[in-house]
Amino acid sequence: MTSEVSPVRATELGKAVGAGSRFRRWRPALLLLPSILVVLLFLFYPLAFILLMSFTLKESFLSPAGSVYTWQNYIDLLSRYAPNVWVTVKLAGLAALVDLIFGFPFAYILVRKIRYRDLVRGFMVFPMFGALYIAFGMRFILLPGGWLSPLFDLLGLQGVQILYGLPSVVFAMAIFTFPFMVMNIGAALSNVDPILEEASICLGAKSWQTFWRVLLPLTRSGVIAGLLMCFGWNVGAFAEPLLLGSLAEQRALAWTLYQRGVVQLDYGLGAAIGVILMLLAFTVNYTSLRYSRGALVQ
Amino acid sequence: MTTTTLTKSSTKGAGQARFNSRRLIDLLSHLYIWFCLLLFVAPFLALFNYSLQQGTSGIYTLSNYSYIFGSFTNNLLTSLRVSALAISINLLITLPAAYALVRYEFPGKPLLLSAVTLPLYTPAPVLGLGLVLTYNFSYGLITSIWGLVFAMVVGTFPLMLIPIVVALKDLPLVFEEAALCLGATRWQTYFKIVLPLIGPGVSAGILLCFIIVFNEYLVTLFVAPPSVQTAPLRVFNLVRTAGIQNTTAALAAFMQIVSFTAVILFFRLFGSRYLKGTYLI
Repeated sequence: MTSEVSPVRATELGKAVGAGSRFRRWRPALLLLPSILVVLLFLFYPLAFILLMSFTLKESFLSPAGSVYTWQNYIDLLSRYAPNVWVTVKLAGLAALVDLIFGFPFAYILVRKIRYRDLVRGFMVFPMFGALYIAFGMRFILLPGGWLSPLFDLLGLQGVQILYGLPSVVFAMAIFTFPFMVMNIGAALSNVDPILEEASICLGAKSWQTFWRVLLPLTRSGVIAGLLMCFGWNVGAFAEPLLLGSLAEQRALAWTLYQRGVVQLDYGLGAAIGVILMLLAFTVNYTSLRYSRGALVQ
Repeated sequence: MTTTTLTKSSTKGAGQARFNSRRLIDLLSHLYIWFCLLLFVAPFLALFNYSLQQGTSGIYTLSNYSYIFGSFTNNLLTSLRVSALAISINLLITLPAAYALVRYEFPGKPLLLSAVTLPLYTPAPVLGLGLVLTYNFSYGLITSIWGLVFAMVVGTFPLMLIPIVVALKDLPLVFEEAALCLGATRWQTYFKIVLPLIGPGVSAGILLCFIIVFNEYLVTLFVAPPSVQTAPLRVFNLVRTAGIQNTTAALAAFMQIVSFTAVILFFRLFGSRYLKGTYLI
């Protein structure tokens, strides 16, 4: 069989393969250049810009008299705007917990029991269309005369109190990030052999013991990754606190950033909030990737 | 004799009971899944329901949707234009990058991957603020639609990159080697062999970019020039200024229906497995 490859063909082949070899070393760099340029110009440069600006007083960064460098913005953030930081962390944390409580059973059933997974995946796309539609739709549901108002009447609650308050904000945020939780726990669960659960049941463990002693330890990395990822995405929540929250929830950092940085042109403070948000989201998300082990391609 | 039949019947009874409890648990699990799915879709269903009514009167009409072909048309066209431009640029920059990342070995690859996927983990308000400041004071892009397009590109191109990288990793090298051995040039190999074979992965990337860019309101709010108002931004502005309105609900429902149709089409054509490894599922 090998004799069928004529010498001529072989040299041609050698030429074809060897032709680009002089540029071979630089080819990946060349191929990657456009995306690297985009990231440098439209992500790293703006982030560096924000970082530098966060150390300048108000709009002095742009004044012809020269920038006034100061720590004042960060001191403000830790004193005057401390409640804003706290409410952001609280909302995102609560939403992540709600996601865990609803998401663990959901992921378990999805991985172990269900055959119509594509259908479920199709429905799970809806939160991805954006938090704006979720918040807007929730407002329609919770309004007096909305779908839930008979339930509120039954429970003796004021619908408006629920609408403009912490629960509705947390709930909308939880819906928004639910797929991340399911994805992470589902990936961890599909690596757990069902035999282990059966063995635990056969050895006389009750189902909650099986969950607590077998299932949860084995899926711990997925749970941690899911919690962190949900938290990281909700730290920058914008529409939910604005459209569904009371004044307390509207202090969330993303909305404060818009108010101070874009509307009131206090660039220094806006940039400082941006730096804090970026640090929070970045650390949390990168830690989550260490735990998620292949739930996302990395 | 009697004892054996007794034990037999009792075990049968126990089996029946276990069988029944198992079926009950199965039923409850399915109910739970559907309950959660209902919660997911509830905001959309509410929007859709009220978009078909006049006020909360319960009188059903299609008149709200006439605005989509009236005052909202410009916003929708802007959204489509921005999406198309962003997807084209995304394709141009991610196709070569994915090929380099999968087919070549070079130092610093993990670092580069992290740097390139960083936009996914940047909160949208931070990206928006950074871009609006640099557009204003360094790039001079603030009045053109290209500023908005590049904001969308930087935010979504990792979503395009990941499915293409996955598809390329799944593609054995033999096809390319065979094409090269048969005398095809590198360009011919890429366009006639590789690109068709990673088609589903590329389509998955296009789908993801489309549903994100088409519905993006937050970065848009920061960087869009005053003359440019995309449809989701219009929804946001109307909700903030005019409150709850059925016509706004019609626009929001319409956007979601368009996006969902795109997803369903993709599932029909390619199935869901090409979206694995991306953040959708």
